[in-house]
Amino acid sequence: MYKWQKLGRVFNPEEITRGTWMKEYAQAPSVVIFEKFVRVYFCCRPLPDEKGQYVSYMAYVDLHRNNLFEILEISEEPVLKLGELGTFDEFGTYPTSVIKVEEDIRVYYGSFARCESVPFNAAIGVAKSEDNGKTFWRLGPGPILSYSPDEPFVLGSPKIRKFGDTWYIWYCAGKKWVNVNGSKQPVYKIRMAESTDGLNWKKQGKDILENVLEENECQASADVIFANGKYHMFFSYRYNVDFKTKGRGYRIGYAHSTDLKNWIREDRKAGMEISSDGGWDSESVSYAHLFRMDDRIYMLYQGNQMGKTGFGLAILEGDLY
Amino acid sequence: MKWRKLGKIFDPTEHKLPNNCEAFAQSPQALVFEDFVRIYFTTRAQEANGKYLGHISFVDLNSDFNTVLRVADKTVIPLGELGSFDEHGIFPMNVIRKNKQVYGYTSGLSRRVSVPLETSIGLAISDDDGLTYKKYGSGPILTSSLYEPFLVCDAFVAYMENLYHMWYIYGIKWIKNAEIDGAPSRVYKIAHAVSIDGISWEKEGRLLISDKLGPEECQALPTVIKLKSRYHMFFCYRQAIGFRSYRDRGYRIGYAYSDDLENWTRDDENVGIDVSEGDWDSEMMCYPHVFNFRDKTYLLYNGNEFGKYGFGIAVLEQN
Repeated sequence: MYKWQKLGRVFNPEEITRGTWMKEYAQAPSVVIFEKFVRVYFCCRPLPDEKGQYVSYMAYVDLHRNNLFEILEISEEPVLKLGELGTFDEFGTYPTSVIKVEEDIRVYYGSFARCESVPFNAAIGVAKSEDNGKTFWRLGPGPILSYSPDEPFVLGSPKIRKFGDTWYIWYCAGKKWVNVNGSKQPVYKIRMAESTDGLNWKKQGKDILENVLEENECQASADVIFANGKYHMFFSYRYNVDFKTKGRGYRIGYAHSTDLKNWIREDRKAGMEISSDGGWDSESVSYAHLFRMDDRIYMLYQGNQMGKTGFGLAILEGDLY
Repeated sequence: MKWRKLGKIFDPTEHKLPNNCEAFAQSPQALVFEDFVRIYFTTRAQEANGKYLGHISFVDLNSDFNTVLRVADKTVIPLGELGSFDEHGIFPMNVIRKNKQVYGYTSGLSRRVSVPLETSIGLAISDDDGLTYKKYGSGPILTSSLYEPFLVCDAFVAYMENLYHMWYIYGIKWIKNAEIDGAPSRVYKIAHAVSIDGISWEKEGRLLISDKLGPEECQALPTVIKLKSRYHMFFCYRQAIGFRSYRDRGYRIGYAYSDDLENWTRDDENVGIDVSEGDWDSEMMCYPHVFNFRDKTYLLYNGNEFGKYGFGIAVLEQN
């Protein structure tokens, strides 16, 4: 089992003042490492509207590279605008995954469109930055990864990586909607697609991980990092319904692969557990993002209530193997 | 072109239809048999909340199109499961024979909150000569993409020049609260995709047909046929706003031709058919579908009220 040393909560949106667009939630952290700081992108929300509905915006916080608990800057405005009327991302650009390849910074993001029979649908978009990651512009008004015969709805939680000349995206794809007493919850599984340019994607077309909790287990946010000749995946999984009940919410799972196609799931090795102190990450942990900096491996992750009170940082003792 | 109208040939209110459907027979599309023609259309069932569900049904007509031989008596293709792209209706379905099967290209509807609906194109396959169809997966085969953000629908598929061709439409924008009746209005245009197997499609990624009414012209339901060496496309077009209320803003049949399946010349003046004063198609004509049957070329279409009281047919007299 990996040993993660929890360093604490890095960012709590409820403690800062940044206007009505950033009141709560700091979800799905992902980083771009600069010379003097680490820019952490995340998704935040204004308070819900009178119907209890949310929108979600992309934001960033810059952390001092030599002290990741020192905040240097927080974005003044959403770094990516919401989509136009009727588009797939009209009500949210969430969650996000940012990548820097040479001078090219791109964000791949999930989305919210509001539906009548179910609460939402989602597809995956892409946007690009031309000011070093301070703002992003859509490459087009539609999604870059959308539905297909065996991926009918809810394409979300993209995680983008480039290994060699190939771009990889891990994402979740909806299988069905479960209706329990009028509360509708999607079942989704982790899938993968690959690309030579990050724009035209070829879906692998299969669920990558076996289920552990139940057939309706929900799997999301699969972040993959290469170390010691292997690919290591940290993902999130939970029960389909009643996931706000303690013990049924998101946990961080682990799988490994040597070829990026076949994965062996070994959750017991993940090593990232909820805290027992009753604090911000004592009920659930999810949406892990791994990065290597100065020869150490770090994990950013969100805590209770899907990151409602922010995200924290952990550092790996030793290496991934 | 010169078309001779044969009149209205089917009124859905005169027949019992499956799925508790009562009116509307929209977007008629033909599957030709040796001595009759099966015509699919979309009809409607009203839900308790007053909204409609669109169901595919069919009628078999004799070779003179003046006798109803059969009306579908059971579900032709079920609507999608909760949350699916075709949960709230299929409108329309285009059919093409492939070996011993029939491929049905469906336009699925699902309801949205900020706009009335979203659509995508699905595939369903029949092994019983078109009586019933099974879906090829629960998701769509053609949907939104980076430059085609929403409202992908109205597929028409034909096998030409050793390829499957699909002409379809996609939305380019929603106009907020512009419609006189209050709901957002959409603008859509005709596009083209090709496929080797009729299942996996490659979008061409450009608009095909020049606008006649300006950038907010809505172009819908393309249908293409080859006569001699030329390809002929019929479609319908209208203004984005006010089309329900004003006769001169409603749907008309448009026309374009091509000699290479790439470059299309719009030539509405030569469409050869228009609304008829005082008749069932006096105010609008929409949802055209062309097909060949027994050495003749026919045009199916809807008239007033978007086909609430059925569809009619015309025969090509002069090309």
